[in-house]
Amino acid sequence: MFTLILIYSDGLIMDLGSDMEEYLEKLRKAILNFDVDGAREAAKEAMSAGVDPVKAIEEGLAPAIREVGDMFHRDEIFLPHVVMASDAMTAAIEVIEPHISKEDLERTKKGVAVIGTVEGDIHEIGKNVVTMMLKAAGFEVIDLGTNVSAEKFVEKAKDVGADIIACSSLMTTTMPYMKEVIEEVERQGLKGKIKVMVGGGPVTRDWAEEIGADGYGKDADEAVKVATELTEKRNEGD
Amino acid sequence: MISLIEIAERAQKSPKMDEKEWDLRLFKNYKELADKYGITGQYPGDDVFFNTDDDLPDRAFEAAIEFLKENGIYCVSTKRVIRLTEDEIYDSLKGIPSKIIMGEGRDRRVWYQHDIETREPLNVCPGHHAPFNEEYGPLVVKNFAQIERADFIEGFNFTTVDGREIFGEPLETYAAIRELSWMREGVRKAGRPGMAIVLYPITTRVGPFMAPIDPDYGLRRTDGVLLSILPDVKIETDLLTVAIKLDDYGCFRVSGSFAMIGGFCGGLEGAIIEGIVKPIAASICYHSFVNYVGVEHITSVSAQKRIIQPLVWGSSVVCQALVRNTNIPIMHWLIPTSGPGTYTHLMEIAYRAIEAPLNGQNLYAPRHTRPEMNRGQTPLEAEFMIEVSDAVIDAKLTREEANDIMKPIADELMKLEVERGKPIDETYDLVRHKPKEEFAKIYERVRKRLEEVGLPL
Repeated sequence: MFTLILIYSDGLIMDLGSDMEEYLEKLRKAILNFDVDGAREAAKEAMSAGVDPVKAIEEGLAPAIREVGDMFHRDEIFLPHVVMASDAMTAAIEVIEPHISKEDLERTKKGVAVIGTVEGDIHEIGKNVVTMMLKAAGFEVIDLGTNVSAEKFVEKAKDVGADIIACSSLMTTTMPYMKEVIEEVERQGLKGKIKVMVGGGPVTRDWAEEIGADGYGKDADEAVKVATELTEKRNEGD
Repeated sequence: MISLIEIAERAQKSPKMDEKEWDLRLFKNYKELADKYGITGQYPGDDVFFNTDDDLPDRAFEAAIEFLKENGIYCVSTKRVIRLTEDEIYDSLKGIPSKIIMGEGRDRRVWYQHDIETREPLNVCPGHHAPFNEEYGPLVVKNFAQIERADFIEGFNFTTVDGREIFGEPLETYAAIRELSWMREGVRKAGRPGMAIVLYPITTRVGPFMAPIDPDYGLRRTDGVLLSILPDVKIETDLLTVAIKLDDYGCFRVSGSFAMIGGFCGGLEGAIIEGIVKPIAASICYHSFVNYVGVEHITSVSAQKRIIQPLVWGSSVVCQALVRNTNIPIMHWLIPTSGPGTYTHLMEIAYRAIEAPLNGQNLYAPRHTRPEMNRGQTPLEAEFMIEVSDAVIDAKLTREEANDIMKPIADELMKLEVERGKPIDETYDLVRHKPKEEFAKIYERVRKRLEEVGLPL
């Protein structure tokens, strides 16, 4: 039995006490159990009970998905677990979305990234790992798969309002296509608005600098760090 | 064996499935099969490097067959699932040759499957897909082909051709033609003109794959092509197209068919099943019969993180399952984490070369984990692998005896930092075909250390 006391001040729900903590805990547990249906139900319950949707995301879902990322990093769970946790998070956010302003929803995201392996290349292990680590870090990630043309990267980034395009390559002979993506961003007048970061087996920091990439990640950890820095810089008006 | 045309038709007409659904099904199915066939919880711990329970690889093999029968193989190009019946799988397994004839004339060799704890010298591929500047082309090939025991040599990749960046399909096609001409020139300079060459794809598009087919200056019918199955038991129609052409033309095929812990197969148990499924799938879908196999980890294969166990033990289960139940002439997968010209690099090679004859694997030369290192492979590594594996064979070591040698090597390596290594021009004299002084000293130091831990070199 819950007693809900909603105290509004300047439009904010101030305190639901221990009851709210229970709702947040349910959300966290659903993510940590990789439970899509459970996350959806927990979100419905939380919204019905009047839990602040921003808190539901920032204090319920976000810490849980970060913990999933940490568990993956510690080899305690595997890629499919991160995919399922990410699906659970998406299901919960779909329920929360009608209860939250667009601005607040955007604020809960670290950023939006469009990711893919460049044209001519069908390797995707590294790209998949970075995708999951970005999601776990709070990014919305649109994965375009492999053999992605420069035009497709930029079109999708425009469609979804992406902050970042992340390009992967595992072959020395497909690395030049990263340059094409950067050129396409420039050609469409989006330089600075959409940051391009690169990575993959043969890709080096020197190469990234040479082609004018905004960021380079030598592994998934660095990719997340760099993506976070790039979006923070952008939000600061860089 | 089921024909490639039949596979191609099924890739176009079978039921569709979303790729994500396939990926998640892998995980669920492997987990269920690992439980059903008693693979879960069998890892004996980090001090055990070889499986010695004959029943376990047989159970893992049965799990792999059940996986293929229940799930099939996924085509990423058409998003369709190629289904196979149990009869088709077993019939295809019977059709896999245990011996592959490669090369021509006096350089003709037979590549074959070895027994577990074999007492015969292993087959050897001394060089494979490491990037080199194009000016090193024929000289590097010559040096690798000079290794007498080498049965075939795999192509290298180049970032430029005629000084131009390899960018776009026309230049990729030209580069592929040039790659094969360098290879042919290199083996001829080594005095082994008939030695088999395996084309390393410049890219995976059909044009660059097909362009080097040329009996006079490029790919001969007795050469091979690297046509690998993709991670997560997936195939792709460009590679299938090439396989159909090569069935007609005559080249043998090689596939990278190892599994990765941490990916969609999940943990060790799933990786063991996938490590058996993939070479069978590569044999069926591309007729790629020479497979490099084993268990890796998504972080060890793609980044600079050294992981030894449970990968070595998992690989031993996979290899033993394939040797005991199929004809597939397997080779091991070795990509040391440290770079060439270093103590840790040779020590990493040593433990894998000890492992190979005990698990029935042939030798596939090492390259540095991260292909960002240009010119990062020397002939000494391959020669050292041969020396170490021969020592294991000559001493008639059993898996139990070799375990005592592996442990101190693994313990030492896990305490040592990853070393970046040096490019070939700093470590190796390509004119005189011998390591430079500093590298030669490191090599002697590693030999001494191996003798200290009980390997009679």
